[in-house]
Amino acid sequence: MAIEIPTLPEQLPTSAPRFVGKEVNRIEDPALVSGTVEFIDNLSLPGMLHCAILRSPHPHARVIKVDTRAAAALEGVEAVLTGEDVGRWCAPAFTAPEGWGSYCMAVDKVRFVGEPVAAVAATSRYLAEDALELIQVEYELLTPVANPDEAMAPGAPLLFEERGTNVIQSREYTWGEIDRVFADADRVVSRKFRWNRVGANPTETFGCICQWDLADNSLTCRGAYQTPRFMGLGRAASLKLPANKVRIITHAQGGGFGGKGGPRGTDIAALLSRKADGRPVKYIEDRMEYLLAGGGQSWDRYYDAALALQADGTVTGFKVRLVDDQGAGAEGYGTISAAKPLAAFTGNYRIEAASYDLTLVATNRAPTYPYRGYGPPPHNLVLESLMDIAARELAVDPAELRRRNYIRPEQFPYTVPSGNEYDSGNYAAVLDRVLEMADYRALREAQAKARAEGRLVGIGVVSTVEPGVFDWNAYATVGVPGVGVPEGVKVAVDVLGNVTVAVGFNLQGQGQFTVAAQVVADYLGVDMNAVKVATASTDVAMPHFGQGGSRLGVAVTGAILGACEKLKQTFCLLVAHLMHTGPEQVELMNGRLQLKGAPEHGMSIAEVAGVMLARSDLLPPGMEPCPEATFVWTAPNRNLPDDQGRCRSYLTAANATHIAQIEIDRHTGQVKILGYFIVDDCGTRLNPASVEGQLQGGVAQGVGAALFEEYVYDPQAQPLVTTFVDYLIPTIHEVPMTTKDHLVTPSPFAPLGAKGCGEGAIHTTPATLMCAINDALSPLGLEILETPASPHRLWKLLHGHGAA
Amino acid sequence: MKPAPFDYYAPETLPEAIALMARLENEGCDAKILAGGQSLMPMLAMRVARPDALIDLRRLTALNHIAEHDGIIAIGAMATKRAAEESTLIRERQPLFHAATQLVGHRQIRNRGSVGGSFAHADPASEYPAVALVLDMEMQAVGEGGERLIPASEFFVTYMTTALEPGEILTEVRMPMLPAGTGWAIQEISRRNGDLALAGVALTLRFSGGLCADARIAAFGVDATAVRLTAAEDALAGQKPDAATFARVAAIAAASLAEPMSCIHASADYRRHLIGVLVERTLAEAAGRAR
Repeated sequence: MAIEIPTLPEQLPTSAPRFVGKEVNRIEDPALVSGTVEFIDNLSLPGMLHCAILRSPHPHARVIKVDTRAAAALEGVEAVLTGEDVGRWCAPAFTAPEGWGSYCMAVDKVRFVGEPVAAVAATSRYLAEDALELIQVEYELLTPVANPDEAMAPGAPLLFEERGTNVIQSREYTWGEIDRVFADADRVVSRKFRWNRVGANPTETFGCICQWDLADNSLTCRGAYQTPRFMGLGRAASLKLPANKVRIITHAQGGGFGGKGGPRGTDIAALLSRKADGRPVKYIEDRMEYLLAGGGQSWDRYYDAALALQADGTVTGFKVRLVDDQGAGAEGYGTISAAKPLAAFTGNYRIEAASYDLTLVATNRAPTYPYRGYGPPPHNLVLESLMDIAARELAVDPAELRRRNYIRPEQFPYTVPSGNEYDSGNYAAVLDRVLEMADYRALREAQAKARAEGRLVGIGVVSTVEPGVFDWNAYATVGVPGVGVPEGVKVAVDVLGNVTVAVGFNLQGQGQFTVAAQVVADYLGVDMNAVKVATASTDVAMPHFGQGGSRLGVAVTGAILGACEKLKQTFCLLVAHLMHTGPEQVELMNGRLQLKGAPEHGMSIAEVAGVMLARSDLLPPGMEPCPEATFVWTAPNRNLPDDQGRCRSYLTAANATHIAQIEIDRHTGQVKILGYFIVDDCGTRLNPASVEGQLQGGVAQGVGAALFEEYVYDPQAQPLVTTFVDYLIPTIHEVPMTTKDHLVTPSPFAPLGAKGCGEGAIHTTPATLMCAINDALSPLGLEILETPASPHRLWKLLHGHGAA
Repeated sequence: MKPAPFDYYAPETLPEAIALMARLENEGCDAKILAGGQSLMPMLAMRVARPDALIDLRRLTALNHIAEHDGIIAIGAMATKRAAEESTLIRERQPLFHAATQLVGHRQIRNRGSVGGSFAHADPASEYPAVALVLDMEMQAVGEGGERLIPASEFFVTYMTTALEPGEILTEVRMPMLPAGTGWAIQEISRRNGDLALAGVALTLRFSGGLCADARIAAFGVDATAVRLTAAEDALAGQKPDAATFARVAAIAAASLAEPMSCIHASADYRRHLIGVLVERTLAEAAGRAR
């Protein structure tokens, strides 16, 4: 029977939702605030050993010899792993595009500072680190490739010699008549931008405990895994095990943001366990390891972009050339960050033609990984900065220029030139609301007054679309196969009417357990505290992916609704049998299976489950005694991409407009955020408090990218930022509390009309702040087109101009 | 990030600690004092510091005092920065030291970090050494040979190096109370709230007959130790306390610096420029407080 997923909260079988759409308390929080959550480093297993990893101090070198004899002889050391073992037992990391992956430990050469060259398992982490100091490594130094220009120069040293080039991929995608719109344009604005490398920094770094069962030749990995099944598949490939012999047990995580996949750490700990006769081996990545060579580096980009406009301000074309420094290969899936902008290439605007000349380059910097939002934050900076520059040249208010080009409400669903379909929205209404809330006119008047006093006050108004609910097809352009991202659950009602939702992911901070409990409680008409959300390990869980790509809130809602629909159908059959009527006469409403038109005749969910499990004599012939249902949801109506990468990829398209008011201290180059305003529309807000948390957190990371954070490398590809003394995550002192409001335009395609909302703020904030800074600089005729806009950079700009 | 092996001692009394220091010194053992641990513990974890032994002073509660005697404020070396921040005596009678304390790290760091630890650590980007120069503070050191007082001008030798001899323990720092009518200010430029300063200036200023007198100005974050800006002090003497004077003196201050430090967050030129900006701003702030 077809399963219909409700697309509005009003379609839930309840007279009024009690939990969906309400700011309910998060069910994750009591354990978090009382310190009883079992994060991986809290767990010890009997006989457990501790792993420490020796890392390369060189960005590019051949490994000639690794002498581990002294380390192996140290008391307490139980196993030592080298590239020789790894070369014998493992395969290199699978990558997209294929063939750009390293082994988990250097087998013949190192390609970045921090690449593992040996590892030790000992009875304590202290001893393991002592043992590392006894390992002698002989290197033959190779010339490092420090940036894309060097990497693409003729005769450049090659990271992967067998590839014959350092260019991972280079291709231009063209959508619409790009040459014609640029030839016909009344005005073309173009700029080069540099987005320096930033990345995810969760509170908890990656950690795992791996145990190799030598009898069964199987592996169990417990750890802070964001995408358990995906990790399991990857480990099966790299460790050459059947996938069903790798079990991933994911623990609660202290944040993720894309940066802690931990494939190398898992493989190394697993191999040490194999060498240590199957004893469990714990590896906890420390912060220096994380910053040096974990998964926390992303988006190292050089842009050259242009916008074509007509005299009336209509934007007709958008050309982007991106050279993306992927670092040492593609093992971290940094490539998909460059592909993702296709999902919303032209932002909120009706732009008829666009092109994307994309070159992915390998260098001797650390490999890049996903970071919250994937690729759009830099892409949006480019588009929105060009919109501002065009507005300045046309002497049109930047908010007005945007409004003129917005996709109109009646045009949805709207297909953008790069192929994705936006589900719904009302961008002008969002803009109007934020302009009103910020009192935009008053902001501009205050700015005029400040300028007259010689102060550098600027305002940024930036609109973005947040593609939500990712699909693999979005990344086909960089070689990712497949369509669909299944997310499955099991909903089980016990004999007393308690409900358990088994999911394939663990809590990470966003509050999806709460969303799951809200949806199932409203559907089945039980209290939220009657619902238990439990994490299943990969060997027994339904197909799943977990957090990522702004999808899980929507996806798990869809899965739960599907499972509940199946339960309802079964329950209706049973109740109809008991009441001697047809199933079409029975409905579920407010937790009761009742006769349509005679609601006094009915049974509670608990009674139905009780009959099912304890009175087989009452069941209709052939009915399973199972008040449980599974459902695996994937976004409907996705398709294969065409030769230009065009497809329906991300299911939902939330949108937002941010306004920032900033002031630059012309004497010191420091930027102060004077005000920050957000209006967003992510459709139905399943838990408004969680949405608000997502926005504020995204703003914080956006402030970091725009003003503070940067992984700096020297000209020899040596990292200069390896601690939080130099990697400057903004604190509560630097991040503004934002003034917020929202509109609700439900998605017609998504479960309950909810859109992905985890990434919109980081998509928008960097561009908003940079636009505000450039607005402040505009009377001086200055521009900063490089992030972060640090005080030193701004001072150099102002000082060179004689303004400081 | 786990320390290399070390022996750990937690003596109960100061004499016991001093005797222990002497014994370890004689044995050729590299011992390091542990106070609040806010700098030393990360250095141990990174194996940047690898002492043979740690002598933890946490049991020496006799070094927790903050007291006034004979017009001098004395702070025990183990008093926390939080205690200094909350001290009415310090806030009312030596507001420059109080303001400097509030610029050190974050509250969580000040809760554990000791006042003495910052002096002994002698980070050139930290606030206390500059304030010590401005206020002519004295450091009390105790060793087997007895106790001695070291003036601030001699205490800070170079980058993270003090005049403390092997076997000596810093036990107390002493400062005068701020004379009535003295203006003061401390400002710094850091990337984030609580970060070490890229550049900072602390100063005191008095007026005599409506003109500037007795200025004491120190810069931090720019050289291997905090530095007195004597050229600027001299240029200020006898001048009218107005914006034109402050701008002129600021330029002299910036020009008088030897080659400042450089790092990924701030070049030498930028630091030099910031010192000028800060001197001008702190002079104006202090002038607003001077009588």
